[in-house]
Amino acid sequence: MSILSFEFLCFLAAVFLAYYAVPLRLRPWVLLIASAVFAALAGWQTAAHIACVSMITWGGALELAALRGKPRTGRLLLALLLTADLGTMCFLKYYPSLMGLNWILPLGMSYFTFQSAGYMIDVFRGKAKAEKNPLRTLLFVGYFLQLPQGPISSWQELAGQLSVGHRLEPVNAVSGFTLMAWGYFKKLVIADRLAVTTQALLTSESLPGWFVLGGVILYTIRLYADFSGGMDIVRGYSCMLGITLPENFRRPFFSVSVAEYWRRWHISLGAWFRKYVLYPMSLSRGGAALSKFAGRFLGKKTARSLPSALATLTVFLLIGIWHMASWNAVVFGAYWGVLMAASILLEPCFKRMSTALHLPRKGWMTPLRWLRTMLLVLLSQFFAFTPGPQAGWALLRAAFSDWELTGFAERWLTVMPTLEWVIVGAAIAILLLADALTERRGDLHVRLAKRSILIRWPVLLLIIIATLVFGCYGSGVDSSAFVYTQF
Amino acid sequence: MNQNMSPGRGRLLLAFWLRTAIFLVLLAAAMFYTLHVLSPKYDYGMCSMDNLYRQPDNSVDVLVVGTSVAYAGVNTNVLYEEYGIASYNLCSAEQPFWISYYALREALKTQTPRLILLDTKPALYDRDYTSSGRIIMSTYGIRSLENRIGAIRACVESDAEALEYLLMFPVLHSKYDSVTAEDFIYPLTNGGRGQDWKGYIEEDAVEFHRKPSFTWNSVRQNLNAREEEYARKIFALAQEENIPMMLITLPNPDYASEHMYVNALYSIAAEYGITGINYNDPSLHYGLRYSTDFADWQHLNVKGSMTLSRQLGADLMALFDLPDRRGDVAYESYQRCADKWYAIYPGFESSGIKEVEP
Repeated sequence: MSILSFEFLCFLAAVFLAYYAVPLRLRPWVLLIASAVFAALAGWQTAAHIACVSMITWGGALELAALRGKPRTGRLLLALLLTADLGTMCFLKYYPSLMGLNWILPLGMSYFTFQSAGYMIDVFRGKAKAEKNPLRTLLFVGYFLQLPQGPISSWQELAGQLSVGHRLEPVNAVSGFTLMAWGYFKKLVIADRLAVTTQALLTSESLPGWFVLGGVILYTIRLYADFSGGMDIVRGYSCMLGITLPENFRRPFFSVSVAEYWRRWHISLGAWFRKYVLYPMSLSRGGAALSKFAGRFLGKKTARSLPSALATLTVFLLIGIWHMASWNAVVFGAYWGVLMAASILLEPCFKRMSTALHLPRKGWMTPLRWLRTMLLVLLSQFFAFTPGPQAGWALLRAAFSDWELTGFAERWLTVMPTLEWVIVGAAIAILLLADALTERRGDLHVRLAKRSILIRWPVLLLIIIATLVFGCYGSGVDSSAFVYTQF
Repeated sequence: MNQNMSPGRGRLLLAFWLRTAIFLVLLAAAMFYTLHVLSPKYDYGMCSMDNLYRQPDNSVDVLVVGTSVAYAGVNTNVLYEEYGIASYNLCSAEQPFWISYYALREALKTQTPRLILLDTKPALYDRDYTSSGRIIMSTYGIRSLENRIGAIRACVESDAEALEYLLMFPVLHSKYDSVTAEDFIYPLTNGGRGQDWKGYIEEDAVEFHRKPSFTWNSVRQNLNAREEEYARKIFALAQEENIPMMLITLPNPDYASEHMYVNALYSIAAEYGITGINYNDPSLHYGLRYSTDFADWQHLNVKGSMTLSRQLGADLMALFDLPDRRGDVAYESYQRCADKWYAIYPGFESSGIKEVEP
């Protein structure tokens, strides 16, 4: 059941009514049943995999807690559990694509696997209590709204919220509903319209370079609208149930550095890797030894940053490979890894340079830093959707060659009729305006929920009707699944 | 709901649910109006069904059910002006029998016609389902969910596709780029004809055709099984409602040679005691000129519709006991419709009656 389908909306309405119709203590059960139904409808593979992972996580966490006084045995058990958990995910994710097989993979496998692995590590570290009730673990792993594309929540963030019933809070319900409607607008009006446009722009061999460049820019916006739209839908609905899911996007196009961009883009994935890979690697004994060793050749400051830079490089390579089993993913990960590692290692140089040139941190430098960041982001996109590095390079070359301006209007219209361009342009402008307002004044859906119905209702009606009329959905229309569902 | 609810919270929740209900009503109204604006209107659209609801109950004496050849051929203004027949064309473009069946079921809720004329054109259709969205969208005029669902489900192969049409997704996607000021007017203006309109849609063009040179014989060929199934349902429905039915085959030069399917339909109709008139038989002389009376390869133009309708009116008056409604105050809308139409087409004259094709 796609979260874009009418059936899903009916399902959500039924769950909402059922959730608030039953007494507080039974409300987690409603979520559990809803999650079971959703997983079952996604296919037996999904349901079976969630059940297995949940049971391993539940049993594993209890054992890890029991072995708290025996760190070596505990570490060994954790290694075994993570191998089973992450190993199965890697096998199912990469083996079919490497062997050219067409397997039906469990929905949201990466997301719930990371979630369960994080929980077991936290139990081992003593940062989370082992849950005795297997059904609570099952709900934590298989909470249906997280299955399509995350976010990846920690036990501390989510489990407590899921295991208690929440009272209906009108402000939450309204703000969640608004966020959901906005998410559908982003996905159906912007992302899915741009899917058609970017497909046309990036696959045509006859269009001049700057059309290709435009296509890559639009692809980047599409990806953002697609993923963040999906997040808004699930976060919005969770909010209606009184459950707060972590934010996965914080207006990444307002970043003025690549590090900031990655703190704003796919936040929960970045946080997971920071917590369970980056910090342990950087702060490990090996890291300290490396730092000491490098201090002989490099400056003290640089040597101190080396473990962190190497860990960052590793994390980005892993993030790249997490997306797919292809060389492009390696190039994508390496590109970001090298960029981020270089920015860590060269930070002292940059600081000295800025001081020498009297470059301010803010003011007129901000747009330049923003432009630099966006160009670097854009460059990475050439390898984000192409089938291989060669195709990525070819597209990159195509984008910067043949900047022919003659026949602009005719070529423009071969991609899409004027009205469609106007709709896409207006929708993107609304998206960026909303993001700019959110950046300055805080979450708009929360603010809107507190306003009078004379303001709130027309805005909501406009969003819903615009989505219905201008959204891409239904057969015969090029509506596409969420890009991040495949990961 | 929570058992230990304070009075303040109770009021808060009551206000919330009340506001939610009002918002949902507003949303439904906004969606209804949006769908109205974006719905395909006029010739192939939902107008004839929609406008039938605006006719007084039991005011239609002759209900014509069928395709575009029927709505362009049966001139309801001529039938009223010259014979006093209160007829209504419940037709849409390429309307298969399965849509006709549900449209008729719906129409019979408010009308009890003295005669139903069924256009035989769908006998030529060979499709099991309706593939064209615009044809399916003509069902949107049907108000009752039962009949609309029935019509849409009959049109498509899968329930998933039917659901999309029921939710009117295609309407929402297909019209926004061609919305005109008229689309915003509620209720429908029926192409500027207003609510007095009786479903006749004139075709102004003139296309030259030669008179088909063949003799209508009695050869039969089975029509599409689903078309037959629904034709039988239509016949049974008319029988059940005790309303006389007659088949009408309209002039259609390009399809004249495919008469074997029409013959098969006539023989099926005969099983139910239903007969018909074949105006597509080139040997039948009622003044139709193939050279001037067609708008295109299958539709009669204004002149052709006048010629045909004069003959049809004469035949109906001879065969059935139909009242002359001219001068009846209850039928003023027919007079207004005819007056308006004749004012727009003052120069048009019928090719004549019983005139022999040269």
